[in-house]
Amino acid sequence: MIERYRGIWARKAVLNTLVRRDLRVRYARSWLGYLWTIIDPLAMALIYFVVFAVIFKRPDAGHKPYFLFLLLGLLPWQWFNASINESARALVAEARLVRSTNLPRELWVIRVVIAKGVEFLLSLPVLFAFAAVYVAKGDTTLNWRLILFPVGLLLQGVLQTGIGLLLAPATVLADDTIRVVRIVLRMLFYGTPIIYTLNIAPEWLQRVLWFNPLSGILELYRAGFFSTPLQVQPLIAGTLMSVGLLVWGAIAFARMERAVLKEI
Amino acid sequence: MTRLADPPTGNDNVIDVNGLGIEFYRSRRRKLSLREMVLRRENTSSKETFWALKDISFSVGPGEAVGLVGSNGGGKSTLLKAIAGVLLPDEGSVGVSGGVAPLIELTGGFLGELTARENVVLVAGLHGLDKQAIAERFDSIVDFAGPQVRQGLDMPFRHFSSGMQVRLGFALITTLDEPIVLVDEVLAVGDKDFREKCYERMESLLSEGRTLFLVSHSEPDLRRFCTRGLYLKSGRLAADGSMDEILDLYNAKPG
Repeated sequence: MIERYRGIWARKAVLNTLVRRDLRVRYARSWLGYLWTIIDPLAMALIYFVVFAVIFKRPDAGHKPYFLFLLLGLLPWQWFNASINESARALVAEARLVRSTNLPRELWVIRVVIAKGVEFLLSLPVLFAFAAVYVAKGDTTLNWRLILFPVGLLLQGVLQTGIGLLLAPATVLADDTIRVVRIVLRMLFYGTPIIYTLNIAPEWLQRVLWFNPLSGILELYRAGFFSTPLQVQPLIAGTLMSVGLLVWGAIAFARMERAVLKEI
Repeated sequence: MTRLADPPTGNDNVIDVNGLGIEFYRSRRRKLSLREMVLRRENTSSKETFWALKDISFSVGPGEAVGLVGSNGGGKSTLLKAIAGVLLPDEGSVGVSGGVAPLIELTGGFLGELTARENVVLVAGLHGLDKQAIAERFDSIVDFAGPQVRQGLDMPFRHFSSGMQVRLGFALITTLDEPIVLVDEVLAVGDKDFREKCYERMESLLSEGRTLFLVSHSEPDLRRFCTRGLYLKSGRLAADGSMDEILDLYNAKPG
């Protein structure tokens, strides 16, 4: 196992090439290119803002300012959603390359997580621009817990790599995986404290939500932007689950690899 | 397990295949639908399997040119893939020291949306060339692929004719420094001029001391390049000898 991962590390130049290729393809064909990464979450944030803050007038929907709160959930969600969807197809979509190059096969998953992560990073200036406006207006203040932001980033990367390593070979062996993934993702969107905060859910439901690793990860992202106290339970559960999924994914991937190569 | 690129040690062989066996499912592609996984515990497709390769053992020294002979379904391509490391053995082992330049799916890494220029840089990168090496070799790759390709360098790759795509792929893979070159029937493509160029390139690779593994149904090609032959018959290694001997044997008992 350790040897496998040393092999992946040795190919980081190839990983770099693949990520560049992904980004280049993504921006080669569309006029708006980079703007798409931002338009989608901004549009969604606007919708939820209108629904919950303007129509329902819920003052307790999320932290104040609600629009910033929404962006801090939707941007990471967009990374999660795109990364899971694409890493589930990572091996199928690159079948010809997988068949013709002897690279550590985990690379195909890791490259999706990183390429989508770069897009997430590219969308962050928008987040910080909004934050700057709200801080200037005196609606919120930034605090030292901003240093938790990169921790959240790392943890989310770990989580997505783990899930991707499980899904990519499963998709090769069973076609329906993709469809199940799509449905689960849609449900998970509402099962993640993106448009609401954890503590407005009923007590029992909160306990369930702790075990959504994204709950803890979003706590980390939001901590620096809002002064509400940090919830520790989802953080612990989320960290353990993310690392656990990575280990599970790595083992399962290695086990399925032989069958996958024959099917692809 | 496939060994990673070890430096050649006391053992001089570049390829060591030991008791290799690869098993496939016969009935249908072994795809389970989730319904089958969830509703019935058992996989409904029959468990019947066959060995595409079984008990294959041989070793190849540096600079050897080996031709693989056998009828369709004999396991030639499977063996080549196992050596390239894109199929993993179910039994036995395949040891390869040094890298492999696989002329198997020539245009495998190329993307239709990107220009030919971008593709060359990216695919060369995928096969492990660094920036500097790519820059040094770029012109020779394009020259080899021919003037039509040079004219279309900034055109999306999917606008290339399939012949041009293959030319570029061949040019690129054969400029890699890998000590082992695997060739799977790619010489059949391309027009006559290009094929002649391919032959020259392969001869120069051989004279540089690379190890060549050639799968072909063309007897003249096999005789021209290979000194040693392996005869695969329904997944078993039926004979291992000089190319001429093997071809005589193959012709005497077809199938």
